[in-house]
This record gives sequence, C-alpha cells and structure tokens, in this order.
Amino acid sequence: MPVRRSRRSLAVFLVAGALAVIVCRAGAQPQQAQVSLPNKPNSLHFAVIGDNGTGDERQYSVGEQMTKWYDRFQFPFVVMMGDNIYGSDRPQDFVKKFESPYKALLDKGVKFYASLGNHDSREQRFYKLYNMEGKLYYTFKAPKEDVRFFALESTYMDQDQLKWLEDELTKSSEKWKIAFFHHPLYSSAGTHGSQLKLRAVLEPLFIKYNVSLVLNGHDHTYERIKPQNGILFFVEGSGGQLRKGDLRKGSPLTAAGNDRDCTFMLMEIDGDTLTYNTITGSGSLIDSGTFQRRK
Amino acid sequence: MLPVIASAAALVAVLVVSAQGASPAAQQRKSAPAGSTPTNSSAAVLKEFVDRVDKYVELHKKLEGTLPSLPKQTDPKQIDTHERALGKLIQAQRAGAKQGDIFTPAMQRLVRSLLAPVFRGKEGAQIRAEILDNEYKGSVKLAPNARYPDDVPISTVPPQVLNELPKLPEELEYRFVRNAMILFDPHAHLIPDYVERAFQ
Repeated sequence: MPVRRSRRSLAVFLVAGALAVIVCRAGAQPQQAQVSLPNKPNSLHFAVIGDNGTGDERQYSVGEQMTKWYDRFQFPFVVMMGDNIYGSDRPQDFVKKFESPYKALLDKGVKFYASLGNHDSREQRFYKLYNMEGKLYYTFKAPKEDVRFFALESTYMDQDQLKWLEDELTKSSEKWKIAFFHHPLYSSAGTHGSQLKLRAVLEPLFIKYNVSLVLNGHDHTYERIKPQNGILFFVEGSGGQLRKGDLRKGSPLTAAGNDRDCTFMLMEIDGDTLTYNTITGSGSLIDSGTFQRRK
Repeated sequence: MLPVIASAAALVAVLVVSAQGASPAAQQRKSAPAGSTPTNSSAAVLKEFVDRVDKYVELHKKLEGTLPSLPKQTDPKQIDTHERALGKLIQAQRAGAKQGDIFTPAMQRLVRSLLAPVFRGKEGAQIRAEILDNEYKGSVKLAPNARYPDDVPISTVPPQVLNELPKLPEELEYRFVRNAMILFDPHAHLIPDYVERAFQ
C-alpha cells in the first residue's frame, strides 16, 4: 500500500509539474487568470495603492497590471495612501508620476481619492484628479453598499483634525467605516515601522466608533496585519517604491507580507464581508482572504 | 481648514494659567476670560509670537488676494503657478527677513522649554524617531524666507508635539528639519522662520 501510494503521488506530481511548465512556456501566469473575489455586480469594488508616485518602471508596471485586472474586476475608484508624487511636483511631474501610469484607468472613468504623504506638497489637495476638493482630510460615501471612507492627513495630526474625525465618525451611520492615510499604526518594516504616537490618538477613536478597516502606506512593503482589536490593518506602500527585505521576519504582527514585489490591492465589499486580493506588478496574486466587519 | 489662531487676549489669559504648571496648548482648550492681563513673562513672549504670526498671515492673505484665486479642484499648472507666485510676492515683501523675526529669541527659548519634557525618556525617543523618521533632510539649508526644497519630504509632527505649541492658522504649520523646528507656509512653500536646536 505505501508503495502504491507513493507511485500515485509521484505520478500526480509529474503531471502537475508538466502542466505548470506548459502554462509557463505559453507565457501565461497561472494565477493571473483568476480573480479570487466574488465579483458580484452589485457589490462595492475598489483598488488600493500607496507610495506609488515615482514615475519609474515599477510604478508603470503596477499601473499596467491594474488596467489588466480592471478588465476582469471593474473598480470605479482607487484610494491612495500618499506619497503620490515623489521629488519635484511641477506640472510635468503630475503627468509622468500619475496621469501617464494610470492613463488607461483614468480614461475608463476610474476616480482616484488621495491622502497625502510626507513626500507630497500640501497643495496637491487642489489637484482635481485627486478628488480632495481642497481639503487635507475629508470623507466620502462609497457609491455602493453602506460604506464611508475617511481620508486623513497623518503628517500633521493636530487637535482640529482629531476633533473633525471624531465628529465625522459620530455622524457616520454607515455599516462600514474605512480609514486611510499614510503612516501605518502597525507595521513590521524595519525602515519606519509602527507609528506609536499616532496610534495612541487614532486607535481609540477607531475602536470607539467601529472602524473596521484601516489602510496605510509609508513603509515600502505589503503587509496584512493580524486583526488588532477587531480592526483589519493593511500596509500597502509598494505601489511604485519597494524596500526589498525590509519586513522583519517572524514579526508577531504579520499575517501575510511581501517585500520582494511592488503591489496593489483589489477589494470588494458585499454586505458584511470584505474580500481582498493583493497582486504584484508582474500580475501574481500573493494574498487573498475575507474579513467580517465590526458590529 | 484649521481655525485661525486664538486671539492674543484669549491666549494670554490661558497662559496666565499655564505659567502655574500646565502646558499652554492643554490650557488653550479650557475656557478663559478674554481680556485678561499677562502676569508673567511666558505670556508676554507668547503674545508677541501670536502678534508676529498674525502679522505674517495678514501679509500672506493680502498678497494672495492679489493673485487669481485657486479653485478647489484644478490642474497642476495652476497650482504650481499660484504657489510660486505667492512665494515670490512674500519673499519680495520680506526681503530683509532675519531668523528670529517671528520666533523672537525669547520665543525660541520658550519653544525649547515647552518641547523638552516631550522629548524626554522612552516616549521622547518614539517622538524623535517619528519626526526624524529616517527620511534624510540633510540637504535643507535653513534660511528665513527660503523656499522649502521641492524634493525633500516634510517631517511628521506627532500630535503630542502639537499639543504643546500654540495653535497656528492654516497658512502656517510647524515642521522639523533635523532638530530645528520651522514655520512652514504650505501655500507658498516657504520657511518664514525657524528655531534651531528645538530639541536635543
């Protein structure tokens, strides 16, 4: 019996290997063909990028993949975690570091909602394609499902912004409350890591007002944090930048991580369930899962 | 966006209380009768700072008023043109600006003393790390009225630091370059003034 099992296992292994070789030689990447999201017509779809505005090849690769995946999973908007334009931000830089890499999506009518990072000029808030309407921090209701987003300015978290946030969270009756901003409250990256002082003032509000999902960047890695106080945190800071090998191995915070590839995320909210996919600039699916909102 | 700085009188009233031990910003959140008279040197120093900030903001607004107004949603060219034009107007009007014009020497000392407790101990190390944040700012040359370099990231200012400092109108922000604290005019991308060695 053991011998027969072993032979059968070997046969299965060889067939699977041969199939993989055939697929790879044909130029297809096995995981590219799949969108492991429910992809329901009436659910909310959106994408997430962060630390993307380099204007270099990696940003363009991610932009191309976003366009390819859009054909399979249409998302009406993208939320941006900041560091939207690195370095100079003259008018031509907005073209090179934003309008060109995402041209295909912009042409399809995809909207981008930005938050500002430490590399961003404050005046980006007036840039029409970032949909900030001149505000450093703002909120908007998603076009589908019962979802509200809160974009924060995490480089300058003064009392006015905190009061504004609490007021808006108090007013919000949506089932899903999603905060996004640049600096991560939790991160296992060696370069920046968790922003503890920011966490001290924001996390109590998120807990108190039932925020379910927090999206950040700043560290040039991808990381899904083990839920903290029932809240799901992501670091999505590799939309154009990348710090290879920056994630601390064995961090107790990490549920999944990647510091080898540039990435973006696709998300879908259907009722109380969030489903997420994380995809690299070469089109591979590297993380996926579901999460139930806080109640 | 950010509410305009508390009136000088109210701030002074608050500082009378602050001189008894609590931080000014913490006291700002308490109500204080307007029109109180300063009874200590810190209050006078802060009043002077507030007056100088108000004067700068008045100039900023006056000069910005001479430019075409910036729509809430516009294109990068208009944003850039507006920012640089405002910067040049302010630089021209403040051509002789010196370090200490807004942060008087007494205010510089007061800033250091207000921030000193924040930067002590383990908590202070975390705050220092978040400000310095491994984003090297070595290429910023501090000069009053200078343009903040386009390609250098701005520092994070943790809320615990902002709590210790007088509130600013939206035309100005506190930021850090290494361990110097600067006033940053985000609309004009200028450094109107700064405090060297704001923390150790």
